[in-house]
Amino acid sequence: MSYLTVSNATKQFGQSFMALNGVSVAVERGEFFTLLGPSGCGKTTLLRSIAGFNDLTSGEITLNGANLRVVPPHQRDIGMVFQDYAVFPHLSVFDNVAFGLKPRKVPAAEIKTRVTQALDAVRLGALADRLPAAMSGGQQQRIGLARAMVINPQLLLMDEPLSNLDAKLRIELREEIRDIQKQVDIATIYVTHDQEEALAISDRICVMNAGRIEQVGTPQDIYGNPQTRFVAEFVGTLNLFNPGAALDAMLGHLGLSAAGAAAWAVRPEHLGLIASGATAPADAAVLDGIVTKFTYLGREAHVGVETPAGNLVVQLANPGMAASRAAGEKVSVVVPQSAPMAFDAEGQRLGRKG
Amino acid sequence: MPRFNFWTVVMILTWLLLFVLLFIPVGSVLVSSFYDQSGNPTFANYLKFLGEPRFHQAFVNTLVVGFGGLLGALLLGSIMAFCVSRFVIGGGRFVSLLAILALVSPPFIGAYSWIVLFGAGGVVRGFLRDLGINMPPIYGVGGILIVFSLKFYPYVYLMVSGALSNVNRSLEEAAEGLGLTPLQRTFKISFPMVFPALTAGGLLALIHAIADFGTPRLLGRGYNVLATEAFTLYSAEVGSNMSMATTISVILILVSMVFVMLQRYMSRRNVYHGNMINKPSRIRLKGWRNVLAHFAVYFIGLCGAMPVIISVIYSFRKTSGPVFQSGFALQSYERILFNLGDVVRNSLTFSIAAVVLIVIVGTVVGVLVARRTNFNTALLDGAFMVPYVMPGIVIGIAFIAAFNTGPIVLTGTATIIILSVFIRRLPYTVRTTASSLRQISPSMEEAAVSLGYSPFQAFLRITVPLIVPGIIAGGMLSFVTAINELSSSLVLYVGSTMTMPVRIYLLILDGDFGTAAALSTVLLVLSGCAVYIAFRFMGRNEQALL
Repeated sequence: MSYLTVSNATKQFGQSFMALNGVSVAVERGEFFTLLGPSGCGKTTLLRSIAGFNDLTSGEITLNGANLRVVPPHQRDIGMVFQDYAVFPHLSVFDNVAFGLKPRKVPAAEIKTRVTQALDAVRLGALADRLPAAMSGGQQQRIGLARAMVINPQLLLMDEPLSNLDAKLRIELREEIRDIQKQVDIATIYVTHDQEEALAISDRICVMNAGRIEQVGTPQDIYGNPQTRFVAEFVGTLNLFNPGAALDAMLGHLGLSAAGAAAWAVRPEHLGLIASGATAPADAAVLDGIVTKFTYLGREAHVGVETPAGNLVVQLANPGMAASRAAGEKVSVVVPQSAPMAFDAEGQRLGRKG
Repeated sequence: MPRFNFWTVVMILTWLLLFVLLFIPVGSVLVSSFYDQSGNPTFANYLKFLGEPRFHQAFVNTLVVGFGGLLGALLLGSIMAFCVSRFVIGGGRFVSLLAILALVSPPFIGAYSWIVLFGAGGVVRGFLRDLGINMPPIYGVGGILIVFSLKFYPYVYLMVSGALSNVNRSLEEAAEGLGLTPLQRTFKISFPMVFPALTAGGLLALIHAIADFGTPRLLGRGYNVLATEAFTLYSAEVGSNMSMATTISVILILVSMVFVMLQRYMSRRNVYHGNMINKPSRIRLKGWRNVLAHFAVYFIGLCGAMPVIISVIYSFRKTSGPVFQSGFALQSYERILFNLGDVVRNSLTFSIAAVVLIVIVGTVVGVLVARRTNFNTALLDGAFMVPYVMPGIVIGIAFIAAFNTGPIVLTGTATIIILSVFIRRLPYTVRTTASSLRQISPSMEEAAVSLGYSPFQAFLRITVPLIVPGIIAGGMLSFVTAINELSSSLVLYVGSTMTMPVRIYLLILDGDFGTAAALSTVLLVLSGCAVYIAFRFMGRNEQALL
């Protein structure tokens, strides 16, 4: 049995809204597990049910084999990091971090060493005696992290801890969170709506949508092998082909087919661009088209191309000066045989033949 | 579940409190207005109100001083707010101190200080007469309006300067970029943004003006308003007419209610929260404009604070009996020390008792309103509006009507004075506690719970320390209101429960202005200390005084 299990969790708000609609997950010891999804998908509701701040309508939660739903929240021994930091403004940084050790009856000398260690781990050792009110968001969230970690909880929960920080700090702090989690080796559930953050930080990702789980897997699985159209579109970007003769011809050329396919799609970075009329590489099809838009982003460039099979975005890595395209230019889009993905009418991924 | 029981008990006790201290008194006033002196049910009181020119006049006069006070306060308050928030004014902090002085000074002392200066034997008037300029004495409606304008302008000033400094400068810059002239910009952009604050502040001045008793009483000289009529009818030695007094009280409540509702509506509309990235900057004026702006601000500020300055000066003047002599002495303070110690003691004990009650009950009920939101608490929140619409004189008459006979007899006790102050100020504390609780993020307590504290411990260790400074500050401001309360105490006092404001009022009627001035100065020092402590706890926030 897994370390933390949630089985058939449902949560109903009001008469009809189902925030969770039969969710089951299993998290292993020491694992960094991320709940990823758009707002309103139920990820925060699930996290708060595990913390005990709202109870499930039905379903089971066990931690280390014990039924968690009967334990009141303050006895669950679960550390939590909040989106708005929830740092106590009337306590010094030290007292904030020491706060959770007092009800655990930790001797004063040990409190001192453990708090000092935790503050050093989040690089706040020098600010221990300050009040947090005037500190930056990044510093406040470091306090929140140290405070949740220092009690050595059975489980660490993080509710979008980086979403109120600016982009650069977000990347810096997520690396730190990842490193610290691996050091302390506490199973962690992390909620975010930022796909890049989820990919960077997680051992496994659970993508949620409308109160249900779409897919659970490693970052590579989620990005490289999405099982539903929702996952493929939410994590990364997706080009959808227009159904019609041009798509059929392309699939025929590549020797691809899938029974019951309702939509074919391809990731922009799997496509290539060659001069119009140039020969297609082996194991690939070409679609002739006209450039509609060129967006230069430094380490990559996005080229919008209008083709008979639909408007496609082609992502070019490391675009040099020569990669520049002008609107109206004739080009050919290269579609490798391995790139197209097929989905059925319900959005489930289909296996391909060929 | 013991916690559920605790809050249910609080809820029941709160309703009981409101029932006894609010619904019974208001009900008694209403009932009494439908009975004649000998106890027969009748509409005669209302017919009399409609029929007698004396009451018509009082009704019209009330509206005249109300709207006159509103216009005066609007004029002075908006000039001051505009100058202080848009131009660099030397000693800006001193100017807002002057506004605070006008706000916390005892209500009727203003009236008397103006009599000292501009009355029949007024100092300034006498001086001008010596120069050959004859000006009419300040008595009558003109005097009342001058005093009201100078007394109530801080309401408009504080509200409007708050709103003006919240107008995002970018909006004005955008209008400028679109080609509007400065004048068009002021009327099309800035004015609509502060209009809700202007009306809310003005209506606040109006509400206080129609509730004011001391000023028309001392300055009116026959210019009667509803508040003075109610008091006259109640207190007349011969032919005291309780049922007519209660009838006028009901009318006064109704008039007041209309404007309180309007005021609440306007302050709720006051919601233009710009992002404050581009704060408005103050312009440094040059030449005569600069002189004019400084003159306007200091003239209004000093005139508003004039009564306070006059009473402090006069409290140190040498007296012989009630007559002032030239030179300075501490005689007036000696008289307080030897003859009026019990009055000071009364005021202090009553106010402190009321504030302690207000803080305890107000905090518990505030938590109830903020944290246990359901139908009952919404209703409770509404019921707490009632004391807002009750002018002090009406509260006094209502308490007499309710507690003179019947199961609870309180007339003539200290309790009735304490309770009357308590119920008037309670809503303020309930509201501020509830709103400060709503401002604390719920994740704060959740964090404490996740760290191993029970919900009650989390509340005690996290939420309570965070709201305590606000509660202490609120308590101090309640103390200021409590110790300056005149109109309800004037109805409720007996010889042994006399308070400082009542004593000052009687001293002024007796013409003993030296002692009155000294007693006012003591009152002012006490109020000043309380405001200072309040500002220490919550930061300097003049708006909290409204």
